[in-house]
Amino acid sequence: MKVDLPENMVMPAASPEIFQQLGTLTRQLHDTMNMLGVLPGLKSTVDDLPDARSRLNYIATKTADAAEKVLNLVDTAKADQEHIADETRKLAALITADPVKAVASGAVFNFVQDVETVTKRVDGHLTDIMMAQDFHDLTGQVVAKVVRLANDLEAQLVKLLVQAAPPEQAQKVEAALTSHHQTSEPALEGPVVDAQGRTDVVANQSEVDDLLASLGF
Amino acid sequence: MSNPADMKFLIVDDFSTMRRIVRGLLKESGYNNAEEAEDGAVALNMLKNGKFDFVVSDINMPNMNGFELLKAIKADDALKHLPVLMVTAEARKEDIVLAAQTGAAGYIVKPFTKATLEEKVQKIMQKLAATA
Repeated sequence: MKVDLPENMVMPAASPEIFQQLGTLTRQLHDTMNMLGVLPGLKSTVDDLPDARSRLNYIATKTADAAEKVLNLVDTAKADQEHIADETRKLAALITADPVKAVASGAVFNFVQDVETVTKRVDGHLTDIMMAQDFHDLTGQVVAKVVRLANDLEAQLVKLLVQAAPPEQAQKVEAALTSHHQTSEPALEGPVVDAQGRTDVVANQSEVDDLLASLGF
Repeated sequence: MSNPADMKFLIVDDFSTMRRIVRGLLKESGYNNAEEAEDGAVALNMLKNGKFDFVVSDINMPNMNGFELLKAIKADDALKHLPVLMVTAEARKEDIVLAAQTGAAGYIVKPFTKATLEEKVQKIMQKLAATA
């Protein structure tokens, strides 16, 4: 680049010290620019932290809901179970006292009907308990996302550290870490932790059905 | 298939809990014959080496995801007749549309209910019976 100097300006004689100082400044500028190059990546990862927080909240809510649901269902099933046990004891007493009367009064028949109703209900509770375990799949996918974010954050911080470290140390650290950080963001999103305000996702199965129906499926 | 209860299902999901849930629900609906695969690659291998009538598949899985499995099934002359019901947490509309366009027979978003699975399987069975 050509610079026009004022006519009366006198250039000092070039000395090795000046060149060295210029070289040092250029090096510092270069390093700073490199570090600045890292910052956008780091900023983007840090920006994802609120998302990670809402994902962790989702996990906490899902697991708490599942635990409560299972405990409530177990309570209900236990009450049903206890009811059958009580009725069995009563019927046994009736049969022991007067078997003919027990049958004739309809107590045996009522008991059989009662058992049928209650066992069906308990079976439903067991199915619901099984269904409640779906939190494992859903939260597992969310945990994987949060772990990926933590890895990204770590990678960005290490990059920053490496660039700020003395060259000989930086090379060693970089070589050791290269194989560890090969994360790739999958195209798939996993469970929607917060559907509020989003128009690109469905909120429930009926919206899936409506969408498919609109496509002629 | 003369008796739906004889139909053989392949349940594909990387979470064993979900495979057990789907298997349990199918059993409650009278479908006792089911096998499991933990990802699309394993599933495809099982489909090529065995006889199955129905595939219930997750989407987000390692090695080969549900979309890749669906495409592979529909691209294979020996397998393309198989109905594939997607059961997934992927709730983006573009994923649902892509699944339908790729040839999925149905799409269920997790978490789902027993009634939803029963209804979708039933609907697909009826379609199969009508086209048979």
